[in-house]
Amino acid sequence: MDVYRLLPKTNCRMCGEQTCMSFAFKLIKREKKLEDCKPLFEPEFEENRKRLEEMLKVVEKATETGLVVNEDLCIGCGNCVVVCPVHVYEDPEGAGSGYGIRLERPILRVEDGVVRVVDVSLCRRYKEKTICVACRENCPTSAIAFLEEL
Amino acid sequence: MICTGCSCLCEDVELRDGKVMHACRIGASMILNRNVARARATVEGKETDIDTAIDRATEILKDSEGVLIYGLNYTTVEAQRIALKLAEKLSAGVDNGLRYDLPKKVVEGSVRTTTLEDVRDYAYVIMFWRFDAHNEMPRLMSRTYYARGKKRQRGHEEDRFLAVVDVRKSHTAILAKKNAVFVEYYDGIVEDFVSAMGGGLARREVLKVVGELKKSEFNVVFTKEFLPFLNDFGYTVPAIPQTNAMGFYEVFGGRREIDRFDTILVVGDDPINDLPFDTLRGKRMIVIDPKLSFASKSADVVIPSAISGLESGGTMLRCDLKEVELKPEFKLEFDDAKILRRILEGL
Repeated sequence: MDVYRLLPKTNCRMCGEQTCMSFAFKLIKREKKLEDCKPLFEPEFEENRKRLEEMLKVVEKATETGLVVNEDLCIGCGNCVVVCPVHVYEDPEGAGSGYGIRLERPILRVEDGVVRVVDVSLCRRYKEKTICVACRENCPTSAIAFLEEL
Repeated sequence: MICTGCSCLCEDVELRDGKVMHACRIGASMILNRNVARARATVEGKETDIDTAIDRATEILKDSEGVLIYGLNYTTVEAQRIALKLAEKLSAGVDNGLRYDLPKKVVEGSVRTTTLEDVRDYAYVIMFWRFDAHNEMPRLMSRTYYARGKKRQRGHEEDRFLAVVDVRKSHTAILAKKNAVFVEYYDGIVEDFVSAMGGGLARREVLKVVGELKKSEFNVVFTKEFLPFLNDFGYTVPAIPQTNAMGFYEVFGGRREIDRFDTILVVGDDPINDLPFDTLRGKRMIVIDPKLSFASKSADVVIPSAISGLESGGTMLRCDLKEVELKPEFKLEFDDAKILRRILEGL
């Protein structure tokens, strides 16, 4: 809704969508780009456009599952790596037992003291479309977030 | 390698293509900033070679009328043992700068302790008593509470109970969600725990924690303080983040006080940062440290050493007293043990 509020809300269809609301959804899903909305580049919407660009920077960083990691906040405790149910199943002796993940391409791995997203294709949100938030729930510094909650 | 960033002494840390894998921010920073702010050998502020610095340190110690050996928390057990011989020879005082009474009792055996592996495999109630794990020993919770163990296969939400006692909602306390409780510290909480464990009255949250204790034989407290109910609660792991502080208590048994001293020998610590300013006025200071510190900037003699665990080997005691053999990735000739041995031989 925050994205929608900043759009022109005229339903002009110049972007190819029926309404500004559906354009807003596609923006978040990265199926459309801000440049597709022509009226937004007129002087009267300049402030809104700048705010939208700011908001969408976060979206750019997000992975296909909507996972966003703020490396500045991360302390590298590894809670997310250890609690991830896929990691526990795939690597019971490593991440499942509290050690560093031993998979070559895990979902998350702590590198240089902060958690990095390596490969989201294993994530339950990606494969099974399950709303799993185990990594975010157990992050003490709120360094992990999902797009739908931002 | 073994990470010596804190007393978790994580053994799964790797260096791969210039990247530090699995270490937390403290450990990674120690490894990545290895060459930043290194100490150099100096005598009276002038740069010199390490042999001259060691000889001058030996001379100063010979002339002194009272010596205090300070630090030793971040060095190996081997170096601590040589420091013990040095202290005996010089009748020196020894101080590691910590004022906790729990580690001494754990080393003596009057408080029961257990290993982190057993906590992971068997513990049900895990209590963090006035200790914010995520800021002092960041991986402690992922290695114990969150990890799945032999008898705790269903994950932390079902197979464990978390209790966090603290004065504020710390990073650790934030994680007290399902099957967990956060108890805000209040005057009389220790008495409440003692009373609740004896079947008496206490505040509701305390009763909840004590009620959970009955569900398992294996419960653990991570704390720095000695509490009268520790042995009734279960096992205790001293949560002292200084890398080898437990080794210090094992070797020395505790601090050794000295009435008067005119020379202070610092091993890997910074008394100017820790002690009241006047304590060191007019005293001669010898510093053995890999890195620059306030102490090394104002010391009479600075002897640069290797970073224990990263550049030199030996053994250290983890927070739970488990002996860990260090596996250094790099090699520097002069480590704390070698420098202290040279000083001891010169006396």
